[in-house]
Amino acid sequence: MHKQFSRRDFLKAAGSAAIATIGMQKLSKILLPAEVVKAQGPAPDLYFAGTDGWIYLPPDPPISFFHPDNLAPAPFTTYIFGFRNITGLNSTQISAQKEKAQHNAPLFWVNQYDPANPKDFRMQLTNLGLAVRPDLTDSHTIHWHGFRNVIPFFDGEPTSSISVPVGQNFTYIYRPREPGTYMYHCHVEDVEHVHMGMTGLVFVRPLQDGNTTLYPSGKFAYNDGDGSTGFDREFAMFLSEVWAEAHWADAHIQLPEWSDYHADFALLNGRVHPDTLAPNGSIDPFNPVRDASGDLIPISGYEHLQHQPLSALITCQQGERVLLRFANLGFKEAAMTLAGIKMRVVGRDATLMRGRDGTNTSYETNTLSISAGESFDVIFTAPPHSGGSGPDKYVLYNRSYARSDNLAGGFGGQRTEVHVYPAGSLAAQQYPNDWGI
Amino acid sequence: MSTKMFKWMRLGVIMLLLAGMFSLAPEQQVQTAAAQNQPSVGMVCTTAGSNPTFTLATQSGYIILPDGNTMFMWGYSLGGQPFQHPGPVLCVNEGDTVTVILQNNLAEDVSIVFPGQEGVLANSAPAQPQFDGSGNLTSLTNVAPPGGSMTYSFVASHPGSFIYESGTHPEKQVRMGLFGALIVRPAMGPDFVYNRADSQFDSNEEFLVLLSEIDPYLNQAVEQGKIFNMNYYHPRYWLINGRGFPDSIADNFTSWLPNQPYGALARIHPWDPNPFLSDGVTPNPAYKPYPGAIHYLNVGTEDFPFHPHGNNGLVIGRDGQPLEGPAGEDLSFEKFDINIGPGQTWDVIFKWYDAEGYNEANNPVPITIPDPANMTYGMFYSGSPYLGVMGPMPVGMSTLNQCGEFYIISHNHALYQITSWGVTMSGPITYLRIDPPLPNMCP
Repeated sequence: MHKQFSRRDFLKAAGSAAIATIGMQKLSKILLPAEVVKAQGPAPDLYFAGTDGWIYLPPDPPISFFHPDNLAPAPFTTYIFGFRNITGLNSTQISAQKEKAQHNAPLFWVNQYDPANPKDFRMQLTNLGLAVRPDLTDSHTIHWHGFRNVIPFFDGEPTSSISVPVGQNFTYIYRPREPGTYMYHCHVEDVEHVHMGMTGLVFVRPLQDGNTTLYPSGKFAYNDGDGSTGFDREFAMFLSEVWAEAHWADAHIQLPEWSDYHADFALLNGRVHPDTLAPNGSIDPFNPVRDASGDLIPISGYEHLQHQPLSALITCQQGERVLLRFANLGFKEAAMTLAGIKMRVVGRDATLMRGRDGTNTSYETNTLSISAGESFDVIFTAPPHSGGSGPDKYVLYNRSYARSDNLAGGFGGQRTEVHVYPAGSLAAQQYPNDWGI
Repeated sequence: MSTKMFKWMRLGVIMLLLAGMFSLAPEQQVQTAAAQNQPSVGMVCTTAGSNPTFTLATQSGYIILPDGNTMFMWGYSLGGQPFQHPGPVLCVNEGDTVTVILQNNLAEDVSIVFPGQEGVLANSAPAQPQFDGSGNLTSLTNVAPPGGSMTYSFVASHPGSFIYESGTHPEKQVRMGLFGALIVRPAMGPDFVYNRADSQFDSNEEFLVLLSEIDPYLNQAVEQGKIFNMNYYHPRYWLINGRGFPDSIADNFTSWLPNQPYGALARIHPWDPNPFLSDGVTPNPAYKPYPGAIHYLNVGTEDFPFHPHGNNGLVIGRDGQPLEGPAGEDLSFEKFDINIGPGQTWDVIFKWYDAEGYNEANNPVPITIPDPANMTYGMFYSGSPYLGVMGPMPVGMSTLNQCGEFYIISHNHALYQITSWGVTMSGPITYLRIDPPLPNMCP
């Protein structure tokens, strides 16, 4: 089903390109029919769509005019732009995902490019348009933030290359040669599209993966050569923000004054505490589960989080090494504090903490100051379980307190928990952020 | 929003009008004289030989902002020169005794502090913070009174990048524009950032990123001689080298920005460490073994997380100190987010090259290149994925691309700060322009 559709879709694209080729042949060599044939080649590894949609943030207390948005369909509160993973959907299902964006954008990962076994990662992007703002015909792109030495064509910055208009497609080719934690976002009308929610986390697995001599799990953050970045479980921790007025303005055909920016809500994996602790929806991008219409399936008991599927709860067993991958696409610096467990910073901005001569520059801390557009890889070792019933709990929160509450004070915002279980309690992780429960 | 093209057109019209206005002004001739022998792109050094003496005079004047607004500013200018923003980039050599004579043309006390320099003298005595009769701090250093002067001197004892700025009511005076950059060249030579062999860079590719902010109500109050309540300070503009995008990518000393001489476009060739072509004999005309260098300075009042696309910066020094251990260990680190704090300076070297070596002839991009009619084309796009190649444009669209060069953006990633009081996608944005390897057809 998946392959059939992809092939047909590519043939369609190839057909339109071929028609154009007839007219354009004299203008350029770049539209040779030979290359059109190649379009029938590999299916994309992932196929994403840019569109608009709605998410849930605590409606109480309200913000006069702006929150909750009076246009929001129940149980949602807040208008967003965002991405959805439409890999494997048919064209009817794809069309039905307009106004069904999620936040944060789907988590995905790519294996480090192996010159000995070369394989392109193909990310196809389409643009479903904005249901609530049909007057806006904005294009979309995917900008892989931090990708080194990339040509503008695959960088997704629209002024210096191309972007994807409504109804069109483009395939980004990634050969990531540097492992680590990155982020991605649409770069069209950057200020607006990023803040509106077209943001997510992407990471690159190192070639060293599978080496069980350096660390028993064979899973690593980097090609460290000594196992120092080996881990047993991994969790993406993606930071973003919502300024309610800006989101309201986009739904109501208004423009905010961006220099008035402030974060009404600070989100961790697209949610605010206590929703950060709620279960995952379908988050494995390579094995997506959707309903018959192609939409995300509401999480039982947490139906309001239908389009916020990524949990931020961290589960682990005593003695395990846990990798937290932080990335911040909010506009403000965050101060993520893990109370009671020290973290070792092993990577920053997708770079192993080593000088050019190999000097180890990793360090231990309890608080990470994470700037807008910055990433950190930290590893902690789960402390021994205290022996009582249930997991031991530790709190991970933004020390900028205004961003670890939900307007009303108290506990909310960028706040989650680490749950440490006795050995033998959890299953192995099937994918990042999997609870193993 | 899809109003971007309109904004550009509007800006273009404004620029043309302003260029016309200012072409009549005598200041421009002075600027043009100052621009002689200076690069049109890249950091503009002001030098004065060994053990240099610089005369910096405080001036007031106006700058032009991306929304078409003009802003009253104060600035340091070289003696006899009209107002400029920011102050001149003073380039000196390690070991120089540097003398700066401050002449004050403003109606209140001003001064200059040199953070990172030790043993600064003021009129030949150790520079001291100033207090009033009640013991309240009035200035971080000795002042030049209105109409008077003060002579500062120091030995530039270690290389690196530094800020100089007002130490008198800095919450007002620095924000009004009394700041500039000081670059101390190491003893190893002007193409090194520090006295480390691994800090060598291509001296044709040296750039300045000086980040600042403006609250227009503060400047308006100063212009009108009114009191400004600092509790209400709230920046509405953010600038790079004293300009906002798209002015930021105009040439140094461009005529329509008569008081904002410093552009921020970085123009380079791809890094290529191979001295010979693949035959091992023929010299490689594209040989370019050294990285470029960027000096980042933040004279604002909060962190500015600056994000260069597609070419991570290797941070080799901060605040005029090389990142090295006690035994010379290399503590440098690569960053895609140069999150520079207020008052900090970061020295960064970078290499851009196409990691995949894509080319039209024998290593094409592994996708079908879409029909131009099916994509939105950016105004800097060449119409081709390949460096040095121009492709077809959609019907009715022209490009600003000249010779198939690449443009890669760099910008502040606190994205509400790449706005100008309502105009989005402006402010501290610039581009890395990558020209095809020589020989090429670029103008």
